[in-house]
Amino acid sequence: MHAFYLREAARSFRQHRGLAYTAIVSLTAALTLSGVLLLLTHNARVTLRLIGDRREMVVYLKDEVPSSQRDVLIGRLTDLYGAVTYVSKEQAWQEFGRQLGDPSLLEAVDDNPLPGSLRVKLKPELLNPAAMEQAANQISQFPEVDEVRYGQEWVRRLDQVGAILVKGTLAVGATVALAIIFILYNTLRLTVLARRPQVEIMSRLGATDRFIATPFVLEAMFEAALSAFLALALIFGLQQVMAARVVGLVFIPPATALAFVGTAIACAWLAAMLALSRVLRAVGP
Amino acid sequence: MITFERVTKRYGERLALDDLSWHMDEGEAVVFLGPNGSGKTSILRLVTHEIQPTSGVATVGTFRSGRLSRGHRALLRRTLGIVYEDFRLLNDRTVFENVALAVRIAGRFAEANVAPRVQFALEEVGLLSKRDAFPTELSAGEKQRAAIARAIVNRPAVILADEPTGALEERSAAEVIALLKRIHGEGAALLVVTTRAEVAIALSTRVLHLAQGRLESAASPAGAAPTGRVR
Repeated sequence: MHAFYLREAARSFRQHRGLAYTAIVSLTAALTLSGVLLLLTHNARVTLRLIGDRREMVVYLKDEVPSSQRDVLIGRLTDLYGAVTYVSKEQAWQEFGRQLGDPSLLEAVDDNPLPGSLRVKLKPELLNPAAMEQAANQISQFPEVDEVRYGQEWVRRLDQVGAILVKGTLAVGATVALAIIFILYNTLRLTVLARRPQVEIMSRLGATDRFIATPFVLEAMFEAALSAFLALALIFGLQQVMAARVVGLVFIPPATALAFVGTAIACAWLAAMLALSRVLRAVGP
Repeated sequence: MITFERVTKRYGERLALDDLSWHMDEGEAVVFLGPNGSGKTSILRLVTHEIQPTSGVATVGTFRSGRLSRGHRALLRRTLGIVYEDFRLLNDRTVFENVALAVRIAGRFAEANVAPRVQFALEEVGLLSKRDAFPTELSAGEKQRAAIARAIVNRPAVILADEPTGALEERSAAEVIALLKRIHGEGAALLVVTTRAEVAIALSTRVLHLAQGRLESAASPAGAAPTGRVR
């Protein structure tokens, strides 16, 4: 019986090629649009994650902290917040000289005013504004600590950009999902109406709605799947062209691509169920 | 089997059936004879639940008129075999596929049994040699025989025929009537509506005369007008 439904779907596709091709072109366009955004969002998130992974906290130490006390502090910070690197006053001075570009400029300064510091590469679960603020407050309570800096504003903005990208992708995704449903809903209505005599005859022979609808549902799902694969191929081509110009641009991961196709098929199924539940009532005697 | 109790059917202002009561038993054959517009097709449409009575009750087997679900309506139709004047074959399928469709719709048989059943039905109506032909390649008589094969392939308890010879020339009409008689002889109940008195006579069964939606009289075949259409 499953083979019968597939044959019926193929028959309907062949007989209404014009409608089917129109639907596939429209769906491919809509899916490509959302796929391009998905590609850009994915790459933006990859970049954000890379930047985010580099987020660290600088803990400035008081000058008078003895090395034994400092080692205890390093041990505690490592346990609680992440990997700690000690930068001595001298190292900080040298680094500053390098950043200035001309170390001779510092020769005029008698004394090294820079404090020793601990650079804490935070654990992944602490890489969000709230957790970072809380960690900074806690660390600043240690008696050995003079000041804690982590680029509070910068972290907050980075987080906001990430959130906006997610919301944008969801909004465009939802819009495209609605577009898919709208396109297939109308295509299926037209297909069923074009096959009205056949549907009426089947209904008179005692066919259930499910029997009549299944080939149309399969046809819609096939069209959506084909359109999604075509859209992915177009997006892949675009990514390859852009990757030659933009370093590090990557294609969306296989799991996301599969979810993309799956979502398109699910939207097609929903559109088919909505359209057929209405149109079969209108057409069937 | 089929019972109408004081069934009235109106289409807006137009009265199609007026307080009609009748009954047919299992295996019986009944012919409704009447002119165009007398309500014959409304009777068939009430039996198949395409329409509902304005008042009264139409019962087919265990299905009573009223608000049958679409699923139950489909189930009812699967217990019937229907033959239409205009054949209602699917032109994009072969004769074999048209008949096989009814078997698949019935959903009672495994895929392996579809072909043998269709073959048997086509043999019964003498159309096996045309199994791969499309309806557009058949004569009117052959189309009607294909439609009859589709109606009998699931061995329904009742065969409904709406003007089964209406589109056929004399010889094909005689063949179709002979076929219907044979099917009835094998045990199926037969409900035929026609404007042609000779169909009623040829079927030699109970004839109900219908005029303006009312039964005029119940008659034996001899009571039917001898020839020609009832106008």
